[in-house]
Amino acid sequence: MSTPFFREEFPSTFEAMTETLDRAVAALLREGWIQTADEPCTRLCLEEALVNAVRHGNDNDAERSVTISLTDCGESCTIRVSDEGDGFSVDEVAFPELEQMGGRGICLIRHFMEEVAFDSSANCLEMSFRRKAM
Amino acid sequence: MSEASDQILDFSQEGAIIVGTIRTSSVLSAINVAEFGNEVVAYVESRPGVNLLLNFENVDYLSSAVLTELLRVNKAIEGVNGKLRLCSLSKVILEVFQITNLDKMFTIYHEDREGGLRRFQRALDIQAEEAAWKEPS
Repeated sequence: MSTPFFREEFPSTFEAMTETLDRAVAALLREGWIQTADEPCTRLCLEEALVNAVRHGNDNDAERSVTISLTDCGESCTIRVSDEGDGFSVDEVAFPELEQMGGRGICLIRHFMEEVAFDSSANCLEMSFRRKAM
Repeated sequence: MSEASDQILDFSQEGAIIVGTIRTSSVLSAINVAEFGNEVVAYVESRPGVNLLLNFENVDYLSSAVLTELLRVNKAIEGVNGKLRLCSLSKVILEVFQITNLDKMFTIYHEDREGGLRRFQRALDIQAEEAAWKEPS
């Protein structure tokens, strides 16, 4: 496994999360994995994964931390978001009913990312995408 | 005329329609997305029958948490017998509505603020004409 070109751990607060999110997106731009035009989709996926980790994984408990890493895997970039919660099965997340108040984050990640999985041994959501063309 | 100062949205009255323009994408971040919903719901609940055009021209993307707040807003609008329309959605935002099937729940005008206003006003005019026809002479 390659060494991540970006890795940060932060407490489960949305303030800390937002700062890390900005730095992660900047790293993807700097490393050429995304172009400016791709930023909204990528930012959306990262935010959904991080919000899930803070809110559902760590229950907004600032004593628990979330870790995000971005790794160059050659053909694709792998994003890993881990928390200290109980984990979940991505495949068991159902498509939400029309008027359901939540549960759309994973649907959006599945749409915009090429691969999405939850590694229960590491309590980690993994998603990957290919380099966006210039 | 625009109202207020440190709000998340600028509300302006255009005839029978209120345009709510979201100021920047950052106001819809995880930190303050609930405030966005609270602000719009409070505005709507104090204006029975409001015709609200939400303008996304300053927004690059929105998360699922914003969709949840928009569902709250939609319920509040229904609760006051008002109407909600959305306009100026970027390609990514429109895609987010389509992926989640919420494009079937919300009425989206694929136009900018001015185009959205014209369509909304036309829809209100047609509704008024239909109501006049149904009135007993």
